[in-house]
Amino acid sequence: MADLTLTVDGKKLTAPAGTLLIEACKSVGIEVPSFCYYPNLSLQGACRMCLVKIEKMPKLQTACTTVISEGMVVATDSDEVRQARKSMVELLLGNHPLDCPVCDAGGECELQDMAFSYGAAESKFMEAKNHKDEQQWSPVVYFDRPRCILCYRCVRVCGEGMDVWALGVQNRGVSSVIAPNKQDHLECEECGMCIDICPVGALTSGAYRYKTRPWEMNHIGTTCTHCADGCKTTLGVRRSDTGMEIVRGDNRDKSGINNDFLCIKGRYAFDFAHSTERLTQPLIRKDGKLSPATWEEAFALAGKNFAEIRTAHGGEAIGVVGSSRTTNEENYLLSKFARMVLGTNNVDHHRTADFPALAAALRGKSGQTASMRDVLSAPAILLIGNNPTEQHPLLAWQIRSNVRLRRAKLYVVNSQPIKLRRQAAGFAQIPAGAEAHAVAFLAGDDAALDHLVHQSATRESLLALRDKLRAETGLVVAFSSEIRGADVARLVHSKFAGAKFIALADYANSRGAADMGLYPDLLPGYEPLTTDSRFAQEWGTLPTVPGLTVPAMAAAAKAGTLKALYVVGANPVARFGLDPFAFSGSFVVVQDMFLTETALMADIVLPAANAYEKSGTFTNTCGDLQLVKKAGEVAGVKSDFEMIVRIADAMGFEVRKLVPFGGGTHADMGQSRGAQSGEADRHSVWLEAHGLEPRMSPFDPVAIFDEIQRLVPSYHVSRLDLLAGNDQHTDIGEAGPGAAHDPNLIIPANDDLFSSGTLGRYSHTLNSVMENKNAPAPSEVGAD
Amino acid sequence: MSVIKNIGAIAKGMSITFGEMLQPTTVENYPDGPGPLKGAQFQERFRGTHVLQRDENGLEKCVACFLCAAACPSNCIYIEAAENTAEQRISGAERYAKVYNIDYNRCIFCGYCVEACPTDAITHGHGFESATFNASALVYRKEQMLSPTPAHMGSNSVFNHADVEAGAPALPQAGS
Repeated sequence: MADLTLTVDGKKLTAPAGTLLIEACKSVGIEVPSFCYYPNLSLQGACRMCLVKIEKMPKLQTACTTVISEGMVVATDSDEVRQARKSMVELLLGNHPLDCPVCDAGGECELQDMAFSYGAAESKFMEAKNHKDEQQWSPVVYFDRPRCILCYRCVRVCGEGMDVWALGVQNRGVSSVIAPNKQDHLECEECGMCIDICPVGALTSGAYRYKTRPWEMNHIGTTCTHCADGCKTTLGVRRSDTGMEIVRGDNRDKSGINNDFLCIKGRYAFDFAHSTERLTQPLIRKDGKLSPATWEEAFALAGKNFAEIRTAHGGEAIGVVGSSRTTNEENYLLSKFARMVLGTNNVDHHRTADFPALAAALRGKSGQTASMRDVLSAPAILLIGNNPTEQHPLLAWQIRSNVRLRRAKLYVVNSQPIKLRRQAAGFAQIPAGAEAHAVAFLAGDDAALDHLVHQSATRESLLALRDKLRAETGLVVAFSSEIRGADVARLVHSKFAGAKFIALADYANSRGAADMGLYPDLLPGYEPLTTDSRFAQEWGTLPTVPGLTVPAMAAAAKAGTLKALYVVGANPVARFGLDPFAFSGSFVVVQDMFLTETALMADIVLPAANAYEKSGTFTNTCGDLQLVKKAGEVAGVKSDFEMIVRIADAMGFEVRKLVPFGGGTHADMGQSRGAQSGEADRHSVWLEAHGLEPRMSPFDPVAIFDEIQRLVPSYHVSRLDLLAGNDQHTDIGEAGPGAAHDPNLIIPANDDLFSSGTLGRYSHTLNSVMENKNAPAPSEVGAD
Repeated sequence: MSVIKNIGAIAKGMSITFGEMLQPTTVENYPDGPGPLKGAQFQERFRGTHVLQRDENGLEKCVACFLCAAACPSNCIYIEAAENTAEQRISGAERYAKVYNIDYNRCIFCGYCVEACPTDAITHGHGFESATFNASALVYRKEQMLSPTPAHMGSNSVFNHADVEAGAPALPQAGS
C-alpha cells in the first residue's frame, strides 16, 4: 500500500496506509501507553490509555483504533494528553485493590508501570473498594476480580488466538466481569495464554502461585522438551535445596519461532523434573534387587561387562536403544559410541515419523522443506492426517494465525472432524486408515478415489479439492506419521507447484534422533553404511552389516545371541510392548530419570538429567535447529552425554577419539576461585553467549557439535545465529540418500495436550487438570 | 587584654570539666553492669537484630512479598512464601512467609529492609549479642525473630485456641 506522511510530536514519519497510529508512533520510538491494544489481536478501544490529540479533531482520539491519514498532525505528549492519561490511571485504580505485595504480577505488572509513568500518587476517591474473593477456575488458573481492568485481552487471545472461546464477558458497563465457560470453572486447553497476556494480576497461574517474585528468578531461554514443535520457553529458576528449581515457564520476550505462544506442556509441565520419584542415585542389581551404588562402581561394572561381551561375542551381541528426547549431540555421540566403541550397528530408537523416506524423496532438492516460520507466512497449507490442536499445538497456532492474519487457505484431509477444519477452506473427511490412498489420489491416481469417498467427501468434492490444491503456489504440506515409506515419495513427487514439506513426528528431538543416525542401517545425516563414508574416514573402521531393530533385538535376546543392551533415555519395553523377560539373560544398562518398565529389568540404572538440565541442541519436526540451555539442576544426576563418555572411558577407550575436546578457548570456569554449584555453568552460558566456546572437557557437547557441523551437510547452519538464540532451518534435502524401512517400525506416540510419554506421567500439573481425565492409561502412553 | 580573655576561656572550659565531675558517671559498664542488658544502653533508633512484628490480632504482619530481600544490599534474606488457608491462618493477607531466614553473617544492619517493608512487618530490635563460635548459628529462622504474641492475646484469644491446645504457651514467654 502507498506510504502516507504524518507528523507526530513534531517528527515527520512515513508508514504504509492502513497502519494504526499506535504502531506508526512505535516505529519511530514514541511510546503511546495502552492496555487493551495487543498486536495481532482484534481492536478493542476499551482502556482509553492511548488517547492522543489529533489536530482538527475536537476530542482526544484513541491511537489504537485510529488509522493514519495523510498530513495528520498528532501530539502524544501535550498537557491535555498527560492529564487524560493521569485521569485514566486514576479511574483504573479506583477499585484496584493495590495489594501489590501479595500479587503474583507485582514487579512485572503493566498497571504498576503505567501508574509510575503516568499516574498520580493520590486519588480523589474516598469510597470503600468493592471487594470480591479470588476464584480458582482450574488447577492452573486463578481469577481475582477486583484486580481486573477489563482490557479483554484474555477473552480475545482465548477466542481469536486459541480458537477455544472459553472466556467471555458478563454484564455491562461498570459491572462487566470476565467469566469462564462453565459457570465457576474453566474447561479448555489450559494453555495459560490468558494468564500470560493479562497486564495485571487478575489472572494468575496456579503452578507459579506465591512461589517467588519475578526479580528473584534467573531467566533462561531454552527449548521445550515435550512435543516435536520446538517452542522456545523461558524458564524462571530459583535456587533450592537440591540445586536450581524451575518455578515458571513462559515466553514473554516473544523470542523464537513461537512468539508468545506456549501450550500447557510448555508452560507448566516442567514439574516432572522435581518429581519425588526421580532417581538421584545409580542402582545396581545385587541378589536380584536394584540397590543404591556409587557412580564409580556403576561405571566400572558397565564398562567391564560391555568390554568383556564385545571381546567374547563381538559387537553384534550388544544392542543400543537411543532416545527421542536427548540432544543432537548426545544422539550423535551414542551413534558414534555404538559403532566405534561397541563395534555394533544394533542402534535404534522409537520412530514416530519416516524421516529416512523423506530424505530419500527430497535427495538433492534443497528448499523443499518448510520451517515452522514458513507455516505462518505460507499462502496455503495442506494438512494430511494428525490433529495438530492436540499433538502439535504450535503448528496449530501458526496455522490459525496465518489464516486469521494473512488469509492463508488451509486444506485438511483427515479421518476425524478435527478442530482445525473450522479454519479450513477445504475439508475432506476420509475413512480411517485411508491416508495413503489420499496421498495416491493427490499425486494423480484417480483409482484411489474409490477408497476415499466417505460421508461428506464425495467424488466431486475430492476432485474439486485437488484442483484447488493444484492451483495453489507455495503450498506447505504437513503430513502425519501414517504417510510412510513409498507414500512419502509419492506425496513429494505430486504436482504441487513450489510445495514445501513437513513430516510430523511426536517427540522433542525425534527429528534429531533420526538426523543423528540412531538407525541400524544409517549413519548420521542419513548416510549409508559404506566403508568409504566421511564417517568411516573420521571414525576408523566401522561395521558395515546393518544391525538389529528394537523388536529384532528382543528376539535376539530371547534366542540368547544378544548379550547386552544399552538403553539411553528410552522405554522400549512399554513402547514396543516387548516381553521384559526376553532380556533376563542379557546385561542391561538403562539411563533414565525414573524407574520405567525398562529400567525395572535393568542390571544397572543410571539417573539421567533431562533436557532442562543440560546444554546442547534440538531439531524440531520441521528441521529447525535450536539451542537447549541448562536451566534447572537436581543433585545426583548426570547428563546422558557424560555417562556415555564415562562408560567409554571405563571400557578402556581413548576418550579423546570419541569427543575431540581441547584446543578451544581456554577459560577459567570459576574453579580457581572455588565456584559454587551452578555458578560455573552460568559462566559457560555467558561464554557461549559471547561466542566463546570452552571445549575444555570431554563432557562438553560443543566439541561434538563441531563434528556434527563438519560431517552432516544439512547442519551447515550459521553458528553465530544459533548461539544468539535463533532457530536455524536444516534442510533434509541436503542430507544423505536415506533408506526404505519397514513401515511397521513407526509407532505413533498418540500424546495429546495433557500427556507427554513418561514425562507426562510424572508431571503433577498435567495430571491435575480435569481435561486429562480422558487420557489413556499410563501403560498405553508413549514412553521415551 | 588577651591574657584576661585567655583566662576567661580557660575558666569557662574548666567549669564544664569540673561540672561534669560532679555528675553521675555515664560510662557504660557492659558487660558487668546491672540488669538484663548487663549495663548496655541504647538509643531508640539503634538497629539491632530484626524483630518480625504481629498485628493487633496476633497474626504475622509479613506477607512474604520479598521486597526486603530485593532491597537487601548484602542479599542475606531468604523467603519461601505459602498460602493461608481457612484452617491455618498465619498472616493477615493471602500469603505468609513459610520460611524467613536472615543470614547475620552477611547482614550489615543498614535498615533498608525495614524501609522497604510495605506492612511494617520487619523492624530492627535491640538485640546485639549475636556472636557465636558457629557461623551456621548466625542464620536466624523466622521463629527466632518473631515477636511474642501480645499479652491480650493470651488464653482469652479466639485466634490461638488451636495453638494452645497443641501445647503452645498461652501467655508470652520471656525471650521468645
